[in-house]
Amino acid sequence: MAERVVITGLGIISALGTGKDAHITAFRNSRSGVTSVTHLKSIHAHEFVLGEIKMSNDELSEKLGLPPGDNGYTRTTLLCLAAMDDLLQITDIDLLRNEPFAFINANTVGGMSKMEDIYMDVITTGTDEKNNKYINTLDCAESTENVAEHYALKPMMATISTACSSSSNSLILGARMIKHGLVKRAVCGGGDALSRFTLNGFYSLKNVDKNPCKPFDQNRGGLNLGEAAAYCLLESESAARARGANIIAVLSGYANTNDAYHPTAPSPTGEGASRTMQQALDMASLTPGDIDYINAHGTATQNNDLSEGLAIQNVFGTSAPYFSSTKPFTGHTLAAAGVIEAIFSMWAIEEQMVIPNLHFETRMEELGIQPVNTIMENKDIDHVLSNSFGFGGSNVSLIFSKA
Amino acid sequence: MKQPLYILSACSISPQHTYDVEHFLDPIVSSDDNKLYVTNPDYAKYISPVAIRRMSRMLKMGITAGMHSLEVAGVKTPDAIIIGTARGSVTDMENFLKDMINLKEEALTPTGFIQSTYNSVNGWLAMMTKSTCYNQTYVHRGFSLELCLLDAQMMLAEATEKQYLLAGGFDELTEEYFIIRDKIDYYKDEAINSGNLLSHYNTKGSIGGEGAHFFTLSNDPANAACAIHSLRMLQKPTSQELQQAIATMLEQNGLTNDDLDVMMCGMNGDSRNRFLIDPLIAGCSPNTTIASFKQFSGEYDTASGFGLWLVNHLFTWKAIPSAVIYQQGSSNSIKNVLLCNVTIACNVTLMLVTKVV
Repeated sequence: MAERVVITGLGIISALGTGKDAHITAFRNSRSGVTSVTHLKSIHAHEFVLGEIKMSNDELSEKLGLPPGDNGYTRTTLLCLAAMDDLLQITDIDLLRNEPFAFINANTVGGMSKMEDIYMDVITTGTDEKNNKYINTLDCAESTENVAEHYALKPMMATISTACSSSSNSLILGARMIKHGLVKRAVCGGGDALSRFTLNGFYSLKNVDKNPCKPFDQNRGGLNLGEAAAYCLLESESAARARGANIIAVLSGYANTNDAYHPTAPSPTGEGASRTMQQALDMASLTPGDIDYINAHGTATQNNDLSEGLAIQNVFGTSAPYFSSTKPFTGHTLAAAGVIEAIFSMWAIEEQMVIPNLHFETRMEELGIQPVNTIMENKDIDHVLSNSFGFGGSNVSLIFSKA
Repeated sequence: MKQPLYILSACSISPQHTYDVEHFLDPIVSSDDNKLYVTNPDYAKYISPVAIRRMSRMLKMGITAGMHSLEVAGVKTPDAIIIGTARGSVTDMENFLKDMINLKEEALTPTGFIQSTYNSVNGWLAMMTKSTCYNQTYVHRGFSLELCLLDAQMMLAEATEKQYLLAGGFDELTEEYFIIRDKIDYYKDEAINSGNLLSHYNTKGSIGGEGAHFFTLSNDPANAACAIHSLRMLQKPTSQELQQAIATMLEQNGLTNDDLDVMMCGMNGDSRNRFLIDPLIAGCSPNTTIASFKQFSGEYDTASGFGLWLVNHLFTWKAIPSAVIYQQGSSNSIKNVLLCNVTIACNVTLMLVTKVV
């Protein structure tokens, strides 16, 4: 039970591009992936900026060696495949074929990005040859099963859906399965594609900013949505060392708690988020002073940033470590947010850098702390805490430490 | 993993009279259109009049089954809430999606969007029980409930003191969802009486169902009638792999085929899984009574919850209702029960449930 779980492989696609270099270059140049909309077919598309991945479904298919057109893969699955493809650039797929592993995926609306185009036809009785390939895609496990099948992998599979904390929970589940000896390795993460359903959902909740979002700013106006997919390869430290793998980081602490406060809003005092961060610190046997950087959830909604800001202050005091939200770079990628930000946290350790919180100008009047708004290089970053909070009061904190 | 899951209570909202367990199968609820919808209990017992008006039926079902399970177990605030659901609140998703299409993305209200979030029942149960602990939602088709139970098993193995977890699974049938699944041969072409499901094993498809099943689980055997000792999820196994998995599970628990008093089998009447079912039944010991439940629950992704609820009650009733018996065995005790669920996709889940002495 006591063995450490380490991360030895990463794969990612977001509005900033595919893989590490594209992301680090964007961070260093303060170049956001949140832009005007090209691919999402929404009546509101021209009104918003979104963290849309700059490839059409056909372009994604081509990159993956799949036929263009209706090939049976939803955009959600295409993004998940692209992230897995990136992971497999550095990870030998035989590692996943020769020994039992778990594939833990996370998702919020399954293949909604496709189903919302064909739904009225699909619910009409009669034959439906045209849509047949997509009929079984309106559930969260479709991308999980399709990714495993595409690579002819036979993992123990699980799909998690806890709104915006979903893929952070994937990492926790994978780590626990490894610690319990159920599997030696786990590929953990998640993906979500933009859909009209989600855009209109958040818009109807009145927490979308039509302009670039400003996390932790006094004048913040809501979130920008985005899309992404990413996976981490987790394994026991002994398994990693036995094969001489490059250890990117150690997953030294994690916690999952619930606010038990409101269906969509966090507790205004930050009580729930404080508890989550503290439990993760306790598990890692770290004190608040050991944390060098916090990758905040920081959605730029009124509620989240107040609650999370107060929670950071509760746990870390007004001399809090460097913190930033990276959502102005990628948009809020929902089920993928937890894992992409986990990856950014690990890169902060690898690159010894703090990623800036773009667009921050004015400190929130309720807070005595403010985020880092320009990139900081050559910093000693040994321990990073990453937060993800979601609807249903779902709070998750992860702590990554230098190997 | 050796951690038993002691079942302190089991609550079911299903097409049958299961919520009020005294009236189980009295009378038997059946249908002739391949759809079995739940028999609604009084949802006002746990949900306030203000909340109930805006709540969709999946939320009402999930919340009520969860709260009732805790009440029966005498647990106010569980140490974790873990849920499995393949589709969450389908009605809410449908309502928001169709409004969005029909209203051309204008003037939408967020209720359907919020409630269609897969962990919304988790959130409500956490609020109502003030449970600020671990909270998780699995959404993996026919494995959703089993993943939730696997997580519960890990939680209890990690615990250093007595813990009480709320675990459950639910899924909803709607007219639209029925049409969608019918197009992928989930349901039978011919309309059958649900009670006769298993006499229609020569045609493909099953009948639609829905339900919510919650269990209060603990590492403390006090007040538990039975415990889940082993749990397996098999992805599209061959018949041989299934038989081998059962043999291994029994062996790991020091049992043989002859020790199984009951096999609770999730037979769904789909001819496409007879290659698994026929040898499974043929391979049973003459001691073993084979029971079935999908003629009462209908088929859906978390239907194994109905099976587990029924297994738990075999131990509390100390008897097997004759209506669920598919093939009588010679054993007259109920000590070891194997729950074997088979899905339309030919995935199989196994749970070995044993009497607590």
